[in-house]
Amino acid sequence: MTNKVHVIGVGMVKFAKPGASDDYHVMAANAARTALKDAGVEYTDIDQVFAGYVYGDSTCGQRAVYELGLTGVPVVNVNNNCSTGSTALFAGRQAVLSGEAQCVLVVGFEQMEKGALASKFNDRPTPLDPQASLMNDVQGINAAPGAAQMFGGAGREYRWKYGTRRETFAKISEKARKHANNNPYAMFSDLLSVEEILASPEVFDPLTRYQCCPPTCGAAAAIICSAEFAKKRGLQGGVYIAAQAMRTDYPSTFNEQSMIKMVGYDMAKHCANAVYERAGLGPKDIQVIELHDCFTANELLTYEALGLCPEGEAEKFIWDGDNTYGGKWVTNPSGGLLSKGHPLGATGLAQCTELVWQLRGQAEKRQVAGAHTALQHNLGLGGACVVTLYRRD
Amino acid sequence: MTDALRYDGKVALITGAGNGLGRAHALLFARRGARVVVNDLGGSATGGGHSSAAADRVVAEIKEAGGEAVANYDSVEDGGKIVQSALDHFGRIDIVVNNAGILRDSSFLKMTDSDWDLIQRVHVNGAYKVSHAAWPHLREQKYGRILFTASAAGLYGNFGQANYSTAKLGLVGLGFTLAAEGRKYNIGVNTIAPIAGSRLTETILPKELIDALRPEYVSPLVAWLAHEQCEETGGIFEVGGGFFAKLRWERTAGQMFRIGRDITPELLRTHWSTVVDFSKTTHPEDVTRALQPVMDNVNAGASKGGNEFIDVDLALGYEFPPISTRYDERDLSLYALGVGAAADPLDDLDLRHVYEMHGQGFTALPTYAVIPALTGVMNAFRDGQSAPGLNYGLDRLLHGEQYTELRRPLPPKAKLSHRTWVKDIFDKGKNALVVMAIESTDETGEVLAYNELGAVIRGAGGWGGDRGPSSDINTPPDRAPDFVRSEKIGANQALLYRLSGDWNPLHVDPGFATAFGFPRPILHGLCTFGYAARHALRALEIDPRKFKSIKVRFADSVFPGETLVTEIWRESPTRAILRAKVLERDKVVLSNAAIEFYTEIPNTAPKAKAQVQAAATAAAPAIKAVPNSADVFTAIGQFLQKQPELAAKAATVFQFKLSAPESVWTIDCKANKVAQGELAAPECTLELSDADFMDMCTGKADAQQLYMGGKLKIGGNLMASMKLNFLKKLDPELVLANMRARVGAASSESPAPAPAADTGPNSADVFIAIRDHIERNPELAAKIQTVFAFKLKEPESAWTIDLKAGKGAVHEGLQGSADCTLELKDSDWMAMTSGKADPQQLYMGGQLKIAGNVMASTKLGFLKKIDMNAAKAAIAAHRGQVSGASKPAQASQPAPTKTAQAPLIADRLVRKLADSKHDAPLTLALHVKDPASEWSITLGPQGGHIVAGPGDKPSATLTIADDDLLALAQGKTSAQQLFQRGKLRVDGDVQAAHYLGLIEGSL
Repeated sequence: MTNKVHVIGVGMVKFAKPGASDDYHVMAANAARTALKDAGVEYTDIDQVFAGYVYGDSTCGQRAVYELGLTGVPVVNVNNNCSTGSTALFAGRQAVLSGEAQCVLVVGFEQMEKGALASKFNDRPTPLDPQASLMNDVQGINAAPGAAQMFGGAGREYRWKYGTRRETFAKISEKARKHANNNPYAMFSDLLSVEEILASPEVFDPLTRYQCCPPTCGAAAAIICSAEFAKKRGLQGGVYIAAQAMRTDYPSTFNEQSMIKMVGYDMAKHCANAVYERAGLGPKDIQVIELHDCFTANELLTYEALGLCPEGEAEKFIWDGDNTYGGKWVTNPSGGLLSKGHPLGATGLAQCTELVWQLRGQAEKRQVAGAHTALQHNLGLGGACVVTLYRRD
Repeated sequence: MTDALRYDGKVALITGAGNGLGRAHALLFARRGARVVVNDLGGSATGGGHSSAAADRVVAEIKEAGGEAVANYDSVEDGGKIVQSALDHFGRIDIVVNNAGILRDSSFLKMTDSDWDLIQRVHVNGAYKVSHAAWPHLREQKYGRILFTASAAGLYGNFGQANYSTAKLGLVGLGFTLAAEGRKYNIGVNTIAPIAGSRLTETILPKELIDALRPEYVSPLVAWLAHEQCEETGGIFEVGGGFFAKLRWERTAGQMFRIGRDITPELLRTHWSTVVDFSKTTHPEDVTRALQPVMDNVNAGASKGGNEFIDVDLALGYEFPPISTRYDERDLSLYALGVGAAADPLDDLDLRHVYEMHGQGFTALPTYAVIPALTGVMNAFRDGQSAPGLNYGLDRLLHGEQYTELRRPLPPKAKLSHRTWVKDIFDKGKNALVVMAIESTDETGEVLAYNELGAVIRGAGGWGGDRGPSSDINTPPDRAPDFVRSEKIGANQALLYRLSGDWNPLHVDPGFATAFGFPRPILHGLCTFGYAARHALRALEIDPRKFKSIKVRFADSVFPGETLVTEIWRESPTRAILRAKVLERDKVVLSNAAIEFYTEIPNTAPKAKAQVQAAATAAAPAIKAVPNSADVFTAIGQFLQKQPELAAKAATVFQFKLSAPESVWTIDCKANKVAQGELAAPECTLELSDADFMDMCTGKADAQQLYMGGKLKIGGNLMASMKLNFLKKLDPELVLANMRARVGAASSESPAPAPAADTGPNSADVFIAIRDHIERNPELAAKIQTVFAFKLKEPESAWTIDLKAGKGAVHEGLQGSADCTLELKDSDWMAMTSGKADPQQLYMGGQLKIAGNVMASTKLGFLKKIDMNAAKAAIAAHRGQVSGASKPAQASQPAPTKTAQAPLIADRLVRKLADSKHDAPLTLALHVKDPASEWSITLGPQGGHIVAGPGDKPSATLTIADDDLLALAQGKTSAQQLFQRGKLRVDGDVQAAHYLGLIEGSL
């Protein structure tokens, strides 16, 4: 296969609460250095840089990689809400595939504020206007964090449709904490019981606080390269991207008066199907998955969007333990956004980092046995979804 | 007459129209345009014979007068034929007047079967046949009027008319049911009981009277009830001789016995006077309402029993009329002394409870919370008020248990209102335990204290009722107490304590005490209670403001002069077990006791706003002119004229609909024009109260916040409202200038106050500005961690700036214990805060006195950062509120009590559920809030039902507000919508909640 793009190096910094981290450029530079070291290449080998972040003035990417040196390398700044990191990876992969670049650094970082996500430019229409209007029609708007209202609303709709218990949503968080317990990079690694999760303050029914990803600061990076470059450096035989797709919204997001559709269910579904088709593989061929669990409700919906279980059967899927060790797949072995944290720009690359470790057998206590094919799902409202399939030969 | 009632195009059928009443009805209808079917069998008054003459005569009469009519000679028993003749001749039928009738009078003894049968056939069967044949046509055309003719004989009975009165009252029942069935189709059905001189009444009324009672006096009622304009249905009317009146059922309030009580004839005899007492009555209009008392009784559940002393059914849950009391620092100090506080006058901690000028701030002893509540209950008893069903005297009553809870620290003074109800009644075997609950609310409308007074009623138990929860609680652990406090009670302590309000002579009058079997007056149990609580607070070193609750059982009496030993076992940082003994007699006097604390001092001012507002009212009584919304709109107009680019950018037509008082304004950013009323078609409509609008424009509230809080309704383009942010750039001076211009313009009417003097800030304004500053900088409290008290003189006022608790707060008055107290003149304060004087300078010069932590005063530097210009808006807004308070003042008034809709809906649901069969049995618990009620819906193969109360093992628990339940029942929303909006909460099986669809549109 000529269109193999190899992931030869990954790295991330331990995620931290707002106020407790280094500044963005320090975190990003540290993650990039780790990835370069992991790949065994120099910064001077990098032909292009793609830098992803959401909150920050223009050219934060340069500010970050200038820490590594001033090589005149092209730097592209990428902003695509919660799917920023994987969008940068998507762009970097295209640069490699085009032949324009042989070796690319993709870095994602975020220095977040305390509290829920909020709009920063209040002098102009927010890009989420249509979503907010739809939500206002369907369920009104209250003082809870906006994202929690959107994904929580989707959870409500799902519950009404299928009678799902609150415990089922909480069970996802319990699993996330169990996984995170083995991940030294996770922000929240203490175990939580379903009862404790349900007893935490309600954010937007059915979501309680422990079912919402926290504002997080962090950075992660990946070095990707062409087959030719890998061969030249003797780096073949490692992890590569077998297929990747990105999708934005379809009409169903806005015209079905459905919160499930509004939070991008169809976008994720189409995106995953495109990847399966391109790779000629299906869910059955996959062992490990990092998916976008910004809220438990979205992890539940994503099981169905990725085709891990039929629509309406996520509850059974969860209680059967098919999302954890011993089940059909291990979803979010890293602890996911819920436990590891969700620095918007970094998340897509942190997911990539975890999966590369899993495929290399370097995931230590949380290693998924025999993992050779992995799937990554990263979604942002506004919206964009990127799905990536990784393999090792 | 232009508004004459006409029947053009209508077809009226009148049976028995050949003579008397029927003839009069026919002539009237025909005269007014109706086409008339004149039915008459032509028989005699007793039903014999048959001829066409009578009907033909009336038809001829009508035609002569230019009307339209057709004769019909069929018997009413062949009703179908009569109706068919109307359809054949006129093609429709609109009005049916069942008038035909005969008499077969005879005393009951002599009455034959044929007398009986014939009357039923003509009156009841005949009216049925005619009406039944007409019914499908009336229903089809969605208009029709039916009249039945009853009689006083049917309503009241009449000698010799057993057959006739039976038939006539039968028609009344027929009329009721047809009215119910016809309501939906605009078919009005009424029954008249006419009195008129006719062939039928010739036999029972004297000739002279019959002459006076002409049928023409009856027909107008028939005509009106039959007219399209008349919406009356299901009525009974007495008519005749110029008299028109409506009848209805009246029912006594009646006597209710709870289900499960042994209802005997004797019991009924005892309560007979209530059964027949018409002094309280209802007028049920339909079966549902008629069944209401029975439903209520069934829903109330089984009887809880009782005996001669206590009727649990009557007493339990009874709520006494509300009582209000007030207290101040003097009452608190007197109470503190009464329970032995400050026995050592140099004890600084105790001095807080008795010295209103204490440097740390005056603090109430929390157990005082029992006093106002108890005073209320005792006064009610003294005034002879008791709950129904509690039939015992004070001689049987012992104060057995006390539970007192505070929601936040007692303020130094307060006006309280108390809600008292009978919370529990337990049968303890020999004795009964009656628990009164008292909820005390302060001026802000928030509950401040809650008490439960457990009274042991000696010898009143034994009816086999609920024994209540185990009394073996709060037992000391099996170890030595963690703390022991011992204190000798003053010999005259009871004399001092009683001044707090318990005047029972048992505690003061030696003779009285002897009569009760005590060697001398005993100490009040609640005095011991106060001692023990005080001991616990001190031993555990708990700030009294963290007090949450105390529960004790009074085990034995204490004599003044004895030594009280309080033993304390610490269970957790927020809870301790207590026991108190008398040292001299080694007797336990308080047992099964526990005290609880909050981890932090609860917010002392739940409605700081209201207080600051009140403070501002007090501090700034001279303010007369305040800006209003018109000033603001005028200012916006001027502002946009000066900055047309802002208008161009917004490019939207906004319409404001303000309420209280109402006004409509348009801000047309496209034409850059602001004016009252509707100018151009609005793209975005904002509805809010005038006061909220003022808050929004002065930066006190933002649009988003108001929207989220439901105070601002936005119509049209929701997102366009974001563009209103430019209003924040409005200079408050511009508004004030408009106000001054307006006030100046009006000065010919009122003596003009000097505007400058009105708008200058005073010390209350400065504190409001500080509060505003603290609100905007919530991190200040965390940084400064100090409570400052200010005592201003000339004029006097006191303020507390609390930068310790939460995000910080500013209160009027001295609240809590200040770390640092500053005393200075009002004018010096103003000078200091406007930068004209320096605190250090004032301190050195002796104009500023600082008590407590002097160094803490240096932290006041943050005051320099307050931008008084920026604060002007907040001040203006507050002044706006102050004057507003005199107009609507709704904020402080309690909301009117809402009527629960749930019972009505449940009632409607009963029938619907009975018909609704489900294969798998299922129980839903329905928790209704505001006002609260609890229901259980059961579905099963035999049909479902709904009962009040918690359900047995529900598959799902549904929580919903009463208002939302009503909206659901009215079909205004769906269960799914409510769920999606978070207004319906489902615990358990969510899909079971789909059955709520049964309620949709049930009203």
